[in-house]
Amino acid sequence: MATELLTTGRRITKRPSGLNRKKTSDWVVLAVAIVLGFFIAVPFLMILVNSFKSPEDYATSGPLSLPTEFYTDGLTAFWERVNFPEKLWNSIYISGLVAVFAVVISMFNAFALGIGRVKGRSWIVVLILLANMLPQEVLLYPLYFMFKQVGLYDNQWAVIIIFTVIQSAFGTYLLASVYGTFPKGLLEAASLDGASRWRILWTVVFPISRPTLSVLLIFFFIWTWNEFLIPLTFLISNATQTVPVAITVLQGDRLMDVTTTSASALLGLIPTLIFFLIFQRTLTRGITAGAVK
Amino acid sequence: MKRHTRSAAALAAVGIGAMLLSGCSGGASHDEDTLVLWHYENADSAMGIAWNKAIDIFEEETGAKVQFEEKSFEQIRSTASQVLNSDEAPDILEYNKGNATAGLLSSQGLLTNLDEQVKKYGWDEKLAPSLQTTARYNEDGIMGSGSWYGVPNYGEYVEVYYNKDMFADAGLEVPTTLDEFESVMQAFVDEGITPLSEAAAEYPLGQLWYQLALTKADRDWVDAYQLYTDDVDFEGPEISYATETIADWTDKGFISPDSTGLKAEDAGVAFISGDYPIFFSGSWWYNRFNTEMDADWGTFLFPGAEMSPGSAGNMWSVPEKAQNKDLAYKFIDITMRPEIQAIIGNNGGVPVAANEEDIDADSQELIANFNTLTERDGIAFYPDWPTATFYDELNAGLQELLNGTKSPAEVQKQLGEQYQAGVDDIVG
Repeated sequence: MATELLTTGRRITKRPSGLNRKKTSDWVVLAVAIVLGFFIAVPFLMILVNSFKSPEDYATSGPLSLPTEFYTDGLTAFWERVNFPEKLWNSIYISGLVAVFAVVISMFNAFALGIGRVKGRSWIVVLILLANMLPQEVLLYPLYFMFKQVGLYDNQWAVIIIFTVIQSAFGTYLLASVYGTFPKGLLEAASLDGASRWRILWTVVFPISRPTLSVLLIFFFIWTWNEFLIPLTFLISNATQTVPVAITVLQGDRLMDVTTTSASALLGLIPTLIFFLIFQRTLTRGITAGAVK
Repeated sequence: MKRHTRSAAALAAVGIGAMLLSGCSGGASHDEDTLVLWHYENADSAMGIAWNKAIDIFEEETGAKVQFEEKSFEQIRSTASQVLNSDEAPDILEYNKGNATAGLLSSQGLLTNLDEQVKKYGWDEKLAPSLQTTARYNEDGIMGSGSWYGVPNYGEYVEVYYNKDMFADAGLEVPTTLDEFESVMQAFVDEGITPLSEAAAEYPLGQLWYQLALTKADRDWVDAYQLYTDDVDFEGPEISYATETIADWTDKGFISPDSTGLKAEDAGVAFISGDYPIFFSGSWWYNRFNTEMDADWGTFLFPGAEMSPGSAGNMWSVPEKAQNKDLAYKFIDITMRPEIQAIIGNNGGVPVAANEEDIDADSQELIANFNTLTERDGIAFYPDWPTATFYDELNAGLQELLNGTKSPAEVQKQLGEQYQAGVDDIVG
């Protein structure tokens, strides 16, 4: 969604250099983008509105009205109940490590598969991709028994290892095809100069593909952040849990507390939003870089 | 280029920082003076308050420490079978009753057989027979008979909530028979008000359907339906009456066809805000109406029925792998004491073993109705219990009934087939 908006944005700013006509179609595109953007924003706005409503207010006036008073008890209640800073740190810790590890592993794999041209590489890629394509429910029990055997059940490293593998599977797939089109001349020149493979990787391939790698890093971080099922299964102690798992504390057997749930959703969403805004530039640059190569 | 070095540095910093701080995981085994306790009740709910008090009493009397972790319902529901099979299992946990949960785990040997403790502490004398149903499972994990694998600490049941202000405005009295109930609803329709707040996308309408069947049913029928003791005739008088009455009430305007898309939360909120005068749902709403509803409201048991949907609540279970089982039993016993039970009752919960004189006036109606039900053996469980998929099937069937896309005869025939297929899967 972000990409779409950003690309449309770019096209519109580029226009003045070309023809200044075609105004109507531009307006149509803009109008469609605004409408789309509005629909995308609706759930977020709902969360925002309901986070600051008291339960009584919600019960009497429904989910769509604006809050009558600025009510923050829901936010503080959730914050204290789950010890939010701890959960936040757990999420950052897990997602951060996964993102870094997965990018490094993807790069190594892709270097071998895309540039090294290993025999039967398309089959290897398909095999690796299985990790990504299999539904997590299928993986759950085998993983549970494996990690219980090695004593990593109820340990954050279980989640880190699992997601490093899953994310790097996708990363390998994507990077291998990017590296497959890597300019041959550069590589040949480097090896003529006597550079080892290791040096070629770090001094030629890595710097050139850095934009793509940073995009992967950001995606891996956000995807891992939003993961729910595997963290729910493997992080038993409250002290090890991530933000999405902590949010489920609010859903009861029969009743739900809409306002506090909204508040928790808001708290869970803000960090990824901030992360996205910080790295927004890198994202757009990286996507175009990937596309050109 | 400058930006590149910066982002590379940031990347490295993230990596190194993360490596340095690798503190994780609590140890598996704990000492024998610690009771590891899990439950998923909100700290300011009736059970949360009462059990907190029980923890204090327990620590005082035994000198042991309680290590309490608040879990989410979702987490226990979806991960219990794995946790209880590992060394991370707690000493005691609140676990969901039913064939698919406690029944399944007991048949897998993951829960401790509590027969001896039940006898020793006399818990069976405190619990009415229909409340014991969900605590006992046979070797196939089917509830109703066999050994004890849990001890329910609270109950729940479904009754009629009504808006006293709206009843007074319309000059209506609390109905005592089904005919009177229908004429009350007709009176609201005549004034242009839809009387019943319903939701067909979730449990409320299914429970009303089951309640209507119960008006024609006896305990044998309930046992057949819930415990597979006999075949259930979905074209028999009980279910025919229920399905036809739902269709009839929809035609008469007692139930809005719009409720097909509504969830329980919507129906409850609509009742709170006074859009509808009557809401047929569970005791779990009681506390919320107490705190959130402006209008004066009251409750009564469904008129003209001996039985109502309801059951013992979720229960204390002791994992087979628990380390300190004796402490767990002591804790269970403390939660069964009248003073703890009274706390549940005074905070909007339904205690299973309270003395009625300990209960405040505010909650007496709730407890009295429950006691009336248990005394006449009127706890009839929930319509979706018998099979794993019947909840969705029932909702879907009733939605078609409300929409008018299917006739009552078609709906109950389809439900009967789905019910039978599900039961065959379980009974084999």
